[in-house]
Parts: sequence; C-alpha cells; structure tokens
Amino acid sequence: MTRSARLGIFSSLFAVAIGLVVFVSMAFLRSEPPTVDFATGHAAGQPVDMTLQTVGAVGYGAHPTWVSYLTKAPDGHWSHTTLWDLPADTRINVTLDEYDSGSPLRNPQLGRVYGTAGNVESINGKDVSLVNATVGNGVAHTFSIPTLGVNVPLYGVNGEAKSFCSQPAPCPLTAEHNVITFSFVTPKQTGQYPWQCFVPCGAGFLYGNGGPMQTIGYMDGFLKVVS
Amino acid sequence: MAISAHESVDVGRPGGTPPPGAAVSQRSAWLGQHMGTAALAAVVGYTIGHYVGSSFANGYEHVAASGQNDVANVLALTLAVVGWLLGSGALNYPMAKLVGREPAPEIEEKGVGRYFRYSLDHKVVAMQYVIAVLLFLFTGGLLAMAVRTELLSPTTHYFGPGTYIAIVSEHGTVMMMMATSVITGPIAGWLLPLMIGSRRMAFPRVEAFSLWTFIAGYMVILTALPFGGFPTGWTGYAPLQTQAAGGMDSYLVGFVVVGSGMIAAGFNIAVTIINYRAPGMTWSRLPIFVWSLLAVASLLALATPTLATGCLFGILDRTAQTSFFVDQHGGSSFLWENLFWFFGHPEVYIMALPGFGIVGEILPVFTRKPLFGYRVGAAGMLGVALLSFFVWQHHLFQSGINPDMRPLFMLTTELISIPTGFIYLTAMGTLWKSKIRFEVPMLFALALYFNFLLGGISGVYLSDVPVNVTVHGSFFVMAHFHYTIMGGLIFAFFGGLYFWLPKMTGKVMNKKLSLIHFWMMFIFFNATFFPLFIVGLLGQPRRVFEYAQRLQGLNDFSTISAYLLASSFIVFTINFAWSIFIDPKPAASNPWDSLGLEWQVPTPVPFDNFERIPLILADPYHYGEPVPTPVADLGVPAVALAGSGAGGGSGPSGLSGAVVVDGEGRASDV
Repeated sequence: MTRSARLGIFSSLFAVAIGLVVFVSMAFLRSEPPTVDFATGHAAGQPVDMTLQTVGAVGYGAHPTWVSYLTKAPDGHWSHTTLWDLPADTRINVTLDEYDSGSPLRNPQLGRVYGTAGNVESINGKDVSLVNATVGNGVAHTFSIPTLGVNVPLYGVNGEAKSFCSQPAPCPLTAEHNVITFSFVTPKQTGQYPWQCFVPCGAGFLYGNGGPMQTIGYMDGFLKVVS
Repeated sequence: MAISAHESVDVGRPGGTPPPGAAVSQRSAWLGQHMGTAALAAVVGYTIGHYVGSSFANGYEHVAASGQNDVANVLALTLAVVGWLLGSGALNYPMAKLVGREPAPEIEEKGVGRYFRYSLDHKVVAMQYVIAVLLFLFTGGLLAMAVRTELLSPTTHYFGPGTYIAIVSEHGTVMMMMATSVITGPIAGWLLPLMIGSRRMAFPRVEAFSLWTFIAGYMVILTALPFGGFPTGWTGYAPLQTQAAGGMDSYLVGFVVVGSGMIAAGFNIAVTIINYRAPGMTWSRLPIFVWSLLAVASLLALATPTLATGCLFGILDRTAQTSFFVDQHGGSSFLWENLFWFFGHPEVYIMALPGFGIVGEILPVFTRKPLFGYRVGAAGMLGVALLSFFVWQHHLFQSGINPDMRPLFMLTTELISIPTGFIYLTAMGTLWKSKIRFEVPMLFALALYFNFLLGGISGVYLSDVPVNVTVHGSFFVMAHFHYTIMGGLIFAFFGGLYFWLPKMTGKVMNKKLSLIHFWMMFIFFNATFFPLFIVGLLGQPRRVFEYAQRLQGLNDFSTISAYLLASSFIVFTINFAWSIFIDPKPAASNPWDSLGLEWQVPTPVPFDNFERIPLILADPYHYGEPVPTPVADLGVPAVALAGSGAGGGSGPSGLSGAVVVDGEGRASDV
C-alpha cells in the first residue's frame, strides 16, 4: 500500500471519528426540550403573563409515568418544557394549574412563600404566605428559583377525587385542580437561572429524588433571561 | 512437568503447542472469532438480557412507578459482556475443559488481523491494550473538553445541570478505569516477560481475558449516557447511587467488569514476576519497573475485590431491592463509602507506582548513571503499596466519621510521604551531577517529577484535617489529583511510549512532532490545572456547573489552556499515525543505548522473545562503567547455567545445582 493510500485511509477514519463525536455531542448531549419564547415582541415595562401546569403523570414520551410541569406558549399551545426565554427586569405574572396530589413536607420551611410580589401566592383566589403541609392535601411541588430567592409551595389536590386527572397531559380544566397565581421580577442581568421543584416527587425512586427531579423538562428548568 | 535443561525443549509458547518447526496452518484472521463476532454476540446478549429483564420485572411496583427497569438494564449489560467474551473466543478454553475436551492448539498468527482477535501473545495483547487505552483517553478527554466548555461562563450554559454532572461523572469514571490499566496493560504487558527473561506471562489466557474485559468495561460505561447518565461523579456515593438514573447500572456493572480484569491482571503479574524470572534474575537484579509492577499487582489483587463487592451490593440494591446502602432499611451509605475508598485510595497508587517505575527506567539511560539508591527506591514502592491500605478514611474526614479517628488517618496519610520521598530520592540522586540527554522520553520523565511534586505537596496539605475541612469538595482537590494522575501517570505513559515504541513497533516516532507534543502538553497541562488550585481556594465547588462571577477569568484561562492541551494530543495522534502507519521509518534495535534486557533482543522481537532462556548476569543499571557489565548472556544454552553461581529465578540466591526449565518456561533451582 502506498503512502498516499495509507494517508487517505487514516484521514478518512479520522474524519469519521470526528464526525461521530460532533454528532453525538450535538445531537445527544445538547438535546433539550424546546424553549418557549416570552421575550420576543415584549413591550418594555409591560408584565409577561405565563400559564403553567403540574401533572401527576405526563402520560407520553420517554417517561410517561413521571410528574411534570408543562408550559402554555403565547400562541396558546401547551408544550412539555421547563425552559423559558424571559425579558430582563420584568414582572412575570404566573398562573399555575396544579393537578397533582400532595404530601407533608420533609422540610416545613419549603411551605413558606417568598421572593414573590408581597411574598404571597394566591391559591384558588385566597392570598397565603405559608402553606401548612401537615393539614389538608399537603404540598405537591414547589416552584423555586434559588438564585433569585423565590419559593412558591403548590398546594396539592385530593388524590382520591373523582375528577382527578388521569389522562395524558395537558389536563383539562374540568379535572380537579388548584389555581395558583403569583408574580416575581426577573433580574436585570441576563443569563440562565435554574429553577426547580424541591419536593421529592420522583415516585418509584429512593426518597423520591430520582428521575423527574433531576431531569429538565419535568421538575426543573431554566429562566433564560434576555435583554 | 519439570524437565531438565539438558534436554532440548520448546518452552514458553502460549498454549504449549505446537512445537517449533511443526507445520501450522496460517488460517485467515478474519475466519473464526474476532472483534466483529464479539460485537455481534454482545448485541445478541444485550437484546436477550433486556428482553428477559423486561418480561419479568416490568410489573414490579417501583419499576411501574418510575418507568426505570434496572433489572433489564443489568441483565442486558451482563449478557452483553458474556456475549462479548463468548464471541471473542475468550471462553473457548474453559468451556472446552468443562466439557472434557482438549482445546485446539494455539498457533502463531501474523498480519494485522491478529490485533483484532483473542491472542495469547503478550506482545499482541499489549498492542491491543495500547489502542484500547488511547480510545479510553480520547473519550475521557472529549468529555473533559465538554466540562471545560460548560465552565466558560457561570451564567450562560452549554449543557443542562443534569447533563453536566453526567458528563463530569462519565469523564471521571472513564479516566479512572483507563488509568488502572494504562501502564499495567500496554507497557507492562509488553515488557514484563522481556525484562525478566521470560517467554510469556504466567497466564496468557488471563492476560488476554484482562484486555477483553477492559474493552467490555469501556463499552458498558459508555452506555451510561444513553441510559440517562449518573450524577455521582466517579465515586458513586450512596444513597445518590441508589436513586440515580439508569446510567448508574452501567457504572456498577462496568466497574465489576473492569475490576474482574484488574484482579486477574494483578495475580498474573505477581505470579509472572515471582515464578517466571530467568536464572540469575535475583530480586536485587530486578528492574525498578518490575518492582513497581510487583507493588501494583498486590494492590490490584487485594484492593479491587472490595470495589467489585461494593458494586455488586449496589446492583442488588437497585434491582432486587436489598438495602445494603439504604439507611432507612437497615443498611448504611457509609458501607459504600468505606468499600469504595478501601479500593479507591490504593487505586491512587495503582496509578502512580508504575509511572514511577517507568521513569525509574528512563533516568539511568539518559543520565548514563546507575540508578541511585536502587534498594531504597524499591523499598519505597513496597512501602507506599503497604501504607496505601491504611489511609482510605482521609477521604471521609467530612462525612461524619468519629472525629477521634481523623488524627490517626491524618498521620498514616502523612506517613506515606516518607516512602514517596524514597522514590524521589532515587530520582534526584540519579540526576545529581549527571549529563542529561534531553530526549523526548527524558523530558516526559522530568516533567513527571515536576508535576507530581506539586500534586504531592498539595496532597500533604489535603491530608491535614484543618486544611481538608476548608478545601474539601473544591477545585483545589480536583487540581491536586489531576496533578498526580495526569501530571504523573499520563506523563509517564507517554514517556514510556516514546521510550519503548521503537522496540514495540520497530519504528521511530518523528522527533520534531514528539517535541511539539511534549512542550504543548507540559505547558498547557500546568496552565490548565494550576489556576484551578486558586479557584478552589477561592471556593469554587467541584461538580457544580455554576460558580461565582469573579472566578470567570481564571476559569476561562483554564478552559482555553485545556483546549490547547487537547490539541497536544492531536499532535501526538498525527505523529503516531504518521510514524507508525503512514510513513514508517525503521528504528534501530537499541536506539537509546539502554542496558535493559528488553533492548538486548532483536527487533522485531521474536514470537518466543528469547531463543533460549537467558542467563542474567547483572542488574541493568551499570551505566558509567568503561565497559558495562553485560546484563545477560543470551546465547549460552541453559545447560551451561549449572554451577555458574548466578541466582536462580525463584531461588533465594545463587544457583547451587542444576537449573531445570519446565514446559511452561519456568526456571528453578534443584
């Protein structure tokens, strides 16, 4: 075999190897749910309205049994994602329909509401600053942005209710749910701010901390704050 | 059967048959079993395992709730490994013996195809190891680039947090798995028999088994990412281990597989050194590299079983719902931590010692001086190996262990710097007032001592409880162990590769490209990792993808240096491909004028290494003498050994009677 042939074979193999690496790194490691854009077309100084859902089982995809958040895009379509483009230094008005059952909190501190406008949330029209998870239906999830000091406990629904949502997400408004509203302000500095649920809700995982708790698109995500 | 050396015998051929001169058919390497059939059998095994696991475990309550079937994962991976070994032919011999049939005789194979097959020739196995190790290194290095890319910015992210920790964990595990065998596989596998005057390893099949399990372990750990990764880092701590995604199954199975190979390799190396030394190869004539291998073999054989056991417990916790590591059900996560680190700290020396052995061989050659304090160096290596079993709890200073135990383990850890100092003393004494030839292997050797000094000194600080409390879990620790493992072991690996490749391949590496590789690797290794000591002291935690804004400058400097460090490996890859495959130039038989026994045989090294079992006359460090003492008599028939006064291979000292060489190539006194 000539030197040119050996060089050609080696170069080809090298190119294939690099191609595979690029493909794997781009297509697999960087794969993530879609980002819902609330920033484009936003008028400066105006608040952004955002609608979310939390469901007990998403019902489709790679992990149909996992609990999950869902996001309603500005065009009205529900998207299975927890990534949002948000404008900087803007008030975000969140309406969250909570369809999952709750439980007592391991850490009662997570029942406190803080970092929101007035340090309160509205649960079915009633403002509260603390959810006592040891009574009633308990807390299903939290919406927490650690770096912004935001924590909102999401009061659970009765898991035995007749109209408990058992269909693939999104759940209909006719199913048992709590309507939770709150507002917070995005930071002035652009960047990506992680948010997550702090209630161990990964059913089937030890202590509830696996699966959806550590997967973007389910129980954690990012605020992608843009200028 | 022991036979007298007076007889003309064939000794040392792997498999023992057929005798030389016998007509053997040169069958095509592509017929029969090879890497392709192994991969095919692995896929079949995986499919069967997954099907069986799914069929009976999908209904389990926790599986239904989580949607994660660890039983199917573990069965699939296990049967894939079994399939891989079956398809490669690794199990032909034991299976034939089990059913009472005599296995087919092994034959010497030639051509490129032998490198894709299950071979019993230690030189072929070692070259297969070289490629496998470089593949590990390439994969782990790419993951490292992904890690550094993510750390370019504290607030703009390239990966999600779960993906980032999965990449960090995969990087750490792949690199640690690779590092266990980076020298004991390729370099020791090739050199050990040659250095001690043997025609083979004690157990050629076990050596090949180690290689094929090593590759299987690589493939298993690669499956972790598609299974969702694992969030524990390479340490796999429980209870995170028990609640992690399916990638954790790959970690646990992968370490059992690689661990099996490590244990086998440890026993094989130890038995080879103890029983297969040529006549005259007394303990005091043993090359320093062989001493380091003996120390490492003891660690491989004694420490690795605890890791494999821990991983098996972890597999049971995740599949059969046992609770070895689940505190709430009577187990203890401390059990994992102790089992892991009882292996994990000796593992550090499994990686460090062979590196010191390699540079111990390189220094005398390029200083033309005898190895200073040979016995002190050998004692240092054994001392490090022994003490390494008594220090593991320094990894647990912050875990809530009994505080009264901390001073004890601080003391034992700091004690280990004494035998390590012996090894340094050997090097410094050899370098003292010498005229150094700054060839590429020597540059790598000197770089090792510089890097390991920084890694070692920072290690002494880390062993100190008050400092440990401050910097535990930070980038300071990360910089420390990269200085010892990459700065030590990987530099030694490349030094050894440049030193012995002319003998291993019969070809010479391009010197200009080799020098570019070295200087880029040395400069950018330090530029990458030294700043991480500082960011660690300033509080940046390991395994977290966000950090304080004020540390971005140092992180960016480190990341850019890491890219340049990676490009040094591209230079090596081009050099390796160009010099070995594309435009090979023949190497001289002994280009460095080394006195080592391995350099006294012709290039390419014959299949049986030595035409006759050599008579060892001296240690290989008689540099600086006007007429150096020959290290061995390679041409004297074994019969002439009787009464020569040379030490016997396994005898305590001089040869008192006749030497016998048995059919497997072992020589001993009678």
